Amino acid sequence: MDAYLEQLPQQLVNGLTLGGVYALIAIGYTMVYGILLMLNFAHGEIYMIGGFAGWWTLNLLTRNNVPMINAALLIFFMIVAAMMVTAFLGMTVERLAYRPLRKSPRMNLLLSALGVSMFLQNAVLTFQGAKPRFFSTSALIPESIRIFNFGTVVISFMRILVIAVAFLLMGVLTVFIKKSKVGKAMRATAQDSEAASFMGIDTDRIIVLVFLIGSALGGAAGTLVGLLFTQVDYYVGFQAGLKGFTAAVLGGIGNIFGAMLGGIILGLLEALATTFFPAAYKDVVAFVVLILVLMFRPWGLMGEKVPEKV
Amino acid sequence: MNTPTIEMDSGRSLRLLLYSVAAAILLSAPHLMPSTYWLRIYAMTGLYVMLALGLNVVAGFAGLLDLAYVAFFGMGAYVFALLSSDQFNIHLPFLVTLPLAAFVTMGVGFALGSTSMRLKGDYLAIVTLAFAQIFKLLLVNLDRPINITGGVNGIYNLDPIRFFGFTLISPVGYAYLIWLAAVVVIIGCFRLKRSRYGRGWEAIREDELAAEVMGVNTSWMKLKAFAGGAFIAGATGAVFASFQDSVFPNNFDFPQLVIVYCMVILGGLGNVPGVILGAVLLSILPEFLREYGAYRMMFYGLILILLMALRPQGIMGSIGFLSAARKRPDKDESGVLRASTDLYYRPEESGSGQGRKRYARSERVVLEVQEVLQSFGGVVAVDKLSFQVREMEILSIIGPNGAGKTTLFNVVTGIYPPTSGVILYEGEKISGLKPHKVVQAGIARTFQNLRLFNNMTVLDNAKVARFCRTKAGPLSILLHLPLYKKEETQTEHDVKEALDLFGARLTGYRFNQEAMFLSYANRRRLEIARAVCTGAKVLMLDEPSAGMNPQETEEITAFIKELRDGHGYTIVVIEHKLNVVKSISDRVIALDYGRKIAEGSFEEVADNPQVIEAYLGRKRH
Repeated sequence: MDAYLEQLPQQLVNGLTLGGVYALIAIGYTMVYGILLMLNFAHGEIYMIGGFAGWWTLNLLTRNNVPMINAALLIFFMIVAAMMVTAFLGMTVERLAYRPLRKSPRMNLLLSALGVSMFLQNAVLTFQGAKPRFFSTSALIPESIRIFNFGTVVISFMRILVIAVAFLLMGVLTVFIKKSKVGKAMRATAQDSEAASFMGIDTDRIIVLVFLIGSALGGAAGTLVGLLFTQVDYYVGFQAGLKGFTAAVLGGIGNIFGAMLGGIILGLLEALATTFFPAAYKDVVAFVVLILVLMFRPWGLMGEKVPEKV
Repeated sequence: MNTPTIEMDSGRSLRLLLYSVAAAILLSAPHLMPSTYWLRIYAMTGLYVMLALGLNVVAGFAGLLDLAYVAFFGMGAYVFALLSSDQFNIHLPFLVTLPLAAFVTMGVGFALGSTSMRLKGDYLAIVTLAFAQIFKLLLVNLDRPINITGGVNGIYNLDPIRFFGFTLISPVGYAYLIWLAAVVVIIGCFRLKRSRYGRGWEAIREDELAAEVMGVNTSWMKLKAFAGGAFIAGATGAVFASFQDSVFPNNFDFPQLVIVYCMVILGGLGNVPGVILGAVLLSILPEFLREYGAYRMMFYGLILILLMALRPQGIMGSIGFLSAARKRPDKDESGVLRASTDLYYRPEESGSGQGRKRYARSERVVLEVQEVLQSFGGVVAVDKLSFQVREMEILSIIGPNGAGKTTLFNVVTGIYPPTSGVILYEGEKISGLKPHKVVQAGIARTFQNLRLFNNMTVLDNAKVARFCRTKAGPLSILLHLPLYKKEETQTEHDVKEALDLFGARLTGYRFNQEAMFLSYANRRRLEIARAVCTGAKVLMLDEPSAGMNPQETEEITAFIKELRDGHGYTIVVIEHKLNVVKSISDRVIALDYGRKIAEGSFEEVADNPQVIEAYLGRKRH
């Protein structure tokens, strides 16, 4: 028990990092679900491609592991590039695979999303190969600030960066949703898209915007994880997508702040679980949480239980 | 119209021809394959046909997005492998392990289904996906601390199949065995689809709530589909394991699931011949695209996207342009436009003779609502309402919009359990029962905003309502036992009799017309006919004349009266048209804000100052 308590602060930091990433992914799921009532199975692949976009940028701007521009700027470019690529991809997917199905049964949308996921994953496999790609981050951060020690707790610079960027993005999104006119239009569309369209809101554009924002956040998460764990491969999207989805459901699907909370809780749970279970079963924790939530509180922590309308 | 007997005979001989061609192909094919490689593909095709048909039961028939399907396939395979290999040194004979694998898998499917079936469609997808992931993780990791699954290396060197002193090892033998199993599954699927189960599932897929309210035990039926799919997957897994002589975690991974889904969707969800064709096509086609191997899974992804966008009903889908062109519902066989209104309905014409018994209301209470309260959050829709319905009376419920009339119907028929209060039917408590139980007890309803099963025929719409009066189980259906045959004949008869109440409106060529092709008024009639078919004694009609023109209104009014006078139904009706209320009601209850504000004869209620106020507002003093 003592050994466990000693590890606790370290695991909390690890959990918070993971949690920030999960929250970013979960937002994409929850926003799309909030408006279209669909599970975007392809969101995990968007995250994965975000990781690759970051890696491409890093490769483009470094030579022999030495960055050609200021390292801070390079990291900034990586994240921005990832967000731009995935935003564009998300919009394209919405336009080609989901919009034609706006009026069809929900199952068709889900199957189409499954198809998109399969397609994107295997497109990356075909053109990038199955081998993991490594982020050579060692040259990006000066030796002196790479690792911080607080007593027994070790925090790497990258962890701080990931937490900072994740929470910054969530903060910006919160302000955008709460304060801006477009944010208000989004909330209105999520509540009742038909009524919103009668009030002069172009719901098609809102939907595009939702895919844009959700995908961009997922893409940022992909690059952040790449920087943190220094690698990305074609298969990471599947697991990450499931985790993000679990976080979204945990918080109450459709609720953006619930997704943030759910992500952080899930990250913490996973980090704490690694002290109890063999690492191979780490992923089981998330799925067990998911199944338990769905069975006992399917509307999540912050969602509302709505009676079905007849 | 052609004489039906000739059609039937030509149909039968065509079917016989089809059977003999299929039998000839199945018997000769293993010997005609150019190489053992193609023989292997032929056998795999049989396995895929079984797999796809099993998934079709879950996803196609019942419309459940089951993403654990391939995990069930794997479970069957691993159960088989563990029980007939050196892994634990257990060597059970094939005839024991095959059913064992199938039943164990079905049991697990049942357990998973019963915990997650309450969830709405996409949540079920996620739970099953998570389950599949856990399963895969266990397969890969359960080689330590004790070696159970063999980890990534799997289990190999399984026992050869032996039965009745005969050992099966030759590829040709396997091809026969696999296709024999496939044929069994194919026949089973055809039989299921045509049975009360098939109709129940189709109704659930069309409109789950309406299916429940028409007497289909939806959660139980969904669970049965889920477990049935798992059963087929488990059995297929066992045969697959034996055929491959080994099992690996990778055999049961996510891409495999997508392939099977592609087969089912290509063929058309729920369409048995289509799914068989889809499975055959997608098993053979990739072999011709070998050199593009890397693109294969991309191709499957693309198939899913394109099919969903362009042809969600699959290559042979029944809803497609193809079949719609073949059967124009508004024209007869010679292509002549059919008259849309043949004869106005008159009650005395509808089948019954003159000397028939007439019914009138009695004083016996059949339905009693006591102090029923229904609130949603803070909104009280029905407020401590009490009233009685007497046998064979026509009771009208009126009230302004939002008075709680439809909510009252929803509470009585079990869609919402009341927040408090009791509802008694024939002295038995029915509040708190699920809708299908309420129907079974004897109360059926119609919906204000039509909830027919639009893609099902008129006849099938009505047959769904007989679900709660029939009891043939899977065994009777699959083996065509006498119980099944008797019930089917009876159902056909009962349903036609009920539809005949409306004369030519719903009979004749309209039997086989899909509900969505009916005129609005006919759809309203079918709603009532469907409620009658449930065999209920009390009919609750929610605005039966809404949207009808004066002629049709008059007709439906007479019809409702006839349902009581000629057939002895007890009728509770919500109606806005006061002339209708006036002409049919024995008694009237007026509601406002969920409370009863008046009760009595039409005149009494119509003159009640509170009622006038509710409709017209308060007079200024």
